[in-house]
Amino acid sequence: MNKVRPLSYHNRLRLLLLPYLVGVLVLVIIPALLSFSLAFFRYDALSPPRWVGTLNFILVYTDELFALSVQNAAALVLLPVPLRVMGAFLLARLLLRNGHFLAWFRAAIYLPSIIPPAAYALAWLWILNPLFGPVNLLLRSAGLSAPAWFADPLWARPGLILMSLWQIGEGFLVCLAALQDIPPSLEDAARVDGANGRQLFRYITLPLMAPILLLLSFRDAILTFQESLATVLLTTGGGPYYSTYTLPLFIYEQGFDLFSFGTASAALWVMYLLTGLIVLLLYVIARQWQIGITDEVFLL
Amino acid sequence: MKCFSFKDNRIRLLLRLLAALLFLLPVVWMLAASLHPRGVPLPQALRLLPEQITLANYGRIWQLVPLTRFALNSLLVAATAVPLTLLISSWAGYAMALLPHPSQRRLLLLSLALLMVPSIALWSTRFFVYKTLGWTDSLLALIAPAWMGTSPFYVLMFYRAFRRIPAALYDAARLDGAGVLQTWGLVALPLARPTAVGVALLSTIFYWGDFLSPLLYLSSERRYTLPIALQILQQMDRSDWPLLMAAGVVATTLPVVLFLLLQPYFARMGRE
Repeated sequence: MNKVRPLSYHNRLRLLLLPYLVGVLVLVIIPALLSFSLAFFRYDALSPPRWVGTLNFILVYTDELFALSVQNAAALVLLPVPLRVMGAFLLARLLLRNGHFLAWFRAAIYLPSIIPPAAYALAWLWILNPLFGPVNLLLRSAGLSAPAWFADPLWARPGLILMSLWQIGEGFLVCLAALQDIPPSLEDAARVDGANGRQLFRYITLPLMAPILLLLSFRDAILTFQESLATVLLTTGGGPYYSTYTLPLFIYEQGFDLFSFGTASAALWVMYLLTGLIVLLLYVIARQWQIGITDEVFLL
Repeated sequence: MKCFSFKDNRIRLLLRLLAALLFLLPVVWMLAASLHPRGVPLPQALRLLPEQITLANYGRIWQLVPLTRFALNSLLVAATAVPLTLLISSWAGYAMALLPHPSQRRLLLLSLALLMVPSIALWSTRFFVYKTLGWTDSLLALIAPAWMGTSPFYVLMFYRAFRRIPAALYDAARLDGAGVLQTWGLVALPLARPTAVGVALLSTIFYWGDFLSPLLYLSSERRYTLPIALQILQQMDRSDWPLLMAAGVVATTLPVVLFLLLQPYFARMGRE
């Protein structure tokens, strides 16, 4: 009797998982397997797919635009992600404890993140407009030279990075929640032992926050790497002179403009491998730091 | 225990104010530009508000695109997809948190692997799936992600929240004869309310602002959603900044109102 009951309890739990697992199968696993297997076929959505072996990978590998798109995508991850995660963390710390208008300050930090992507892109096209945009008017009134931002190959990328720095609400909330989860008794105990503010931060807050910060970087890197497409499409379109031409844009153009779904899929494989590398890198760094995290904690 | 002096508090308040103002800038600039009258040259010097203020740009959007219909479509998608997302992601997170260790680990790895699948890998082939299900050119194609809780990240958020609740509480509910669903609804979910509010807000923002799904899966104009209206307006005239900013403000209003309504909730969260 005792052996039967927990079993059925677990199976009833598994029943709650069913909608999620079915949804994931239909909406992610099957489409993903389909599009990853297309890498070995020549497919233009009109005639049936034809087996071509590794030809698509060779085509992608020898495409100059492909190498460029990988470099651009990497640059657009490596610089903004640490800035975004650190920004979110510092703002969460600044806005952690009680004070006047605390709720409103927090709301202000989160506000840019709830702007729909299409509206956000339009807003920044205006803000960074070379002639009339408020940022350039500000720079000129301060006597500085005003760059042409999205119209200048040198400044388009900094422009994209700049606009990404205002949408860190999700990381901000996650950091805030995690900081609140740190039991006050821990800090009190450390204070009784004579720890000052800096020591509290170094030996209590940071070690407890490290897994969260890592998880955030991991998620942010993947999101920035893979999902930057809508922003790029709506602002620079990959230009000027391919300075913001990223890997997702390469894949999008191969597939939806040139109807060469095979090479698009081959590039997708590369993107997936690179994403895996990012995760691995973060994991190795975490291990190197030895911030007391086990596999378990790393996985939340 | 007091660890900040009065002066520290003042500096902190000032820093907080500066950070808040900095983050409000994009919205303020968008709002200010939307009030600029049509035909009047854009100013060449920095000023917070235009010399003449007009609301005419907001009226012009309605003349150019069927905005009411687009907004209702967006609303319908969000109103269906968000409750579904909450239900499915919290169920999955709850089951994950309570299942024995080996299954927990397998499900975690699965969810993390799924997070790594680029959405770009799914666009073209999801189209075939939706076609098989008869969901193309229908709002169902926009609601579809809700069937998997929208994102494995939300499932992981619930998993984390439910695992933090002391196991003794679940055990007590079970001993009192509560079933799986009852424990989820009466014990786990109320205790994880901050997470639920967070997931609801994030998924509302996602569905309301989703730009690529309508672009890829819809073909009839009467099913278009609000983000597409912005693109249509941009294609009409790229240099009509006041109009474009007005449209941006309209698209941003619902998330902002919702967020401000939930604000007391976040404020309470901070004090706990």
